[in-house]
Amino acid sequence: MNFEAEVISWLPQLRRYARALTGDRAWADDLVQDTAERAFARWAAFRPDSNLRAWLLTILRHLYIDQLRGRREIAVDDESAPWRNLEAPQGEVDGLVLRDLQRALYCLPVEQREVLLLVCVEELSYQEASSALGVPIGTVMSRLSRAREHMRALLTEGPAEGPARKTTPLKVVRNP
Amino acid sequence: MNSDDYDSSLPEGLDLRALSAFVDGELPGAERAAIEGQLKQHPQAAARVAAWRAQKAALRALCGAPPRSERDARNERREDDAADEPAFIVLRRKTPWWQRAGVAACWLAAGAGLALALGPLAPRLTGGAWGGLGGQPPSFAERADIAYAVYTPERRHPVEVAASEEEHLISWLSKRLNRPLSVPSLQEYGYSLVGGRLLPGEAGPAAQFMYENGSGARLTLYVTGTSRDETAFRLFREGNRRTFYWINDGMGYALSGPIAEGKLRTIAIDVCSALGGKPESWQ
Repeated sequence: MNFEAEVISWLPQLRRYARALTGDRAWADDLVQDTAERAFARWAAFRPDSNLRAWLLTILRHLYIDQLRGRREIAVDDESAPWRNLEAPQGEVDGLVLRDLQRALYCLPVEQREVLLLVCVEELSYQEASSALGVPIGTVMSRLSRAREHMRALLTEGPAEGPARKTTPLKVVRNP
Repeated sequence: MNSDDYDSSLPEGLDLRALSAFVDGELPGAERAAIEGQLKQHPQAAARVAAWRAQKAALRALCGAPPRSERDARNERREDDAADEPAFIVLRRKTPWWQRAGVAACWLAAGAGLALALGPLAPRLTGGAWGGLGGQPPSFAERADIAYAVYTPERRHPVEVAASEEEHLISWLSKRLNRPLSVPSLQEYGYSLVGGRLLPGEAGPAAQFMYENGSGARLTLYVTGTSRDETAFRLFREGNRRTFYWINDGMGYALSGPIAEGKLRTIAIDVCSALGGKPESWQ
């Protein structure tokens, strides 16, 4: 498969990842567009024997981090927070649980969120995640286990189910 | 958050990293078997693994990933996803840049060749629409028109220096043209500056500034030194493109674009006066 066809074949997954990472459809689409353009512009820099997906994810990540710097902090409970506008995921898991999960996900620092998404959702191996994130495997493992615990803590500490649902103090996603 | 990799509720020697790697199937056989053994003995550890597995499944559901966590399925997954959601990326550049540059160069050469070949005939062919002295436009107007045709279709590399570096752009081109240049704003007409490039002119360097409006239509302002000295304000037509050109104080200016003549003329008059010319004298 030639380089361009290969890049295009990864676009749906890049898009899914970008949506999960940003929580913003439009932003995600722009990120994927920019990623593809940059990949085509720099195809000469890609070593054919290396992992194309990890390379694309690295590009996307760099663009995302760059763009984050230009954006304001987003309050997680803000009705206009971009992730609120994501489509409701299809059934099978309780919608309310997913809402809480979504909220917890965007409470994580971006380093934890990205590794969690890469491994759990995109099913990258630790080796691939390590190359996509540009950190050693040991760091991937530590961040991932911390992210899981962080998520678990956010979900268990979170509001109890049922009518006695108390409101938790607002948390803010602090983007680096 | 828990920044410690060990958890007091877990048995000694069992760290979160290992459990986490177990959930992801990243442990080599022996270690995996060891963890499996410990999970049987330690309900807390087993509960942790179960919670993380549920978390993983829920994240996949949240993100719209297919509910299959088997790594083996990875290859099929690609096709499935591709089928679920067609790629709708806009590929603004399908051919490599060198190919496009080659094509552009060919067009430039062909355009220049055609201009050379037909140049002398042009006044007759166009019925003298050029008017002016001797019925022939100064070659900078033609060059401006050709440069418009060559560079405005470029989506990726329309300019050498982008408007984001306007200061650098102006100082660079001023230096090369050996003349302080300024770039008039066409914001009023909905066109903003894209950037500029340096081009070979008839008798020295020329500068091309490109503007673009919200719908992607482009205008160019071409500037070069010229030895001709006339003050008239003229129109040069080529295909659907129009170029208004004038000379002021030793410099030739040409504004090109495919828009209506009246509109282009209005803009050109504005540009001329912004650049220190005296458009009143033509009206």
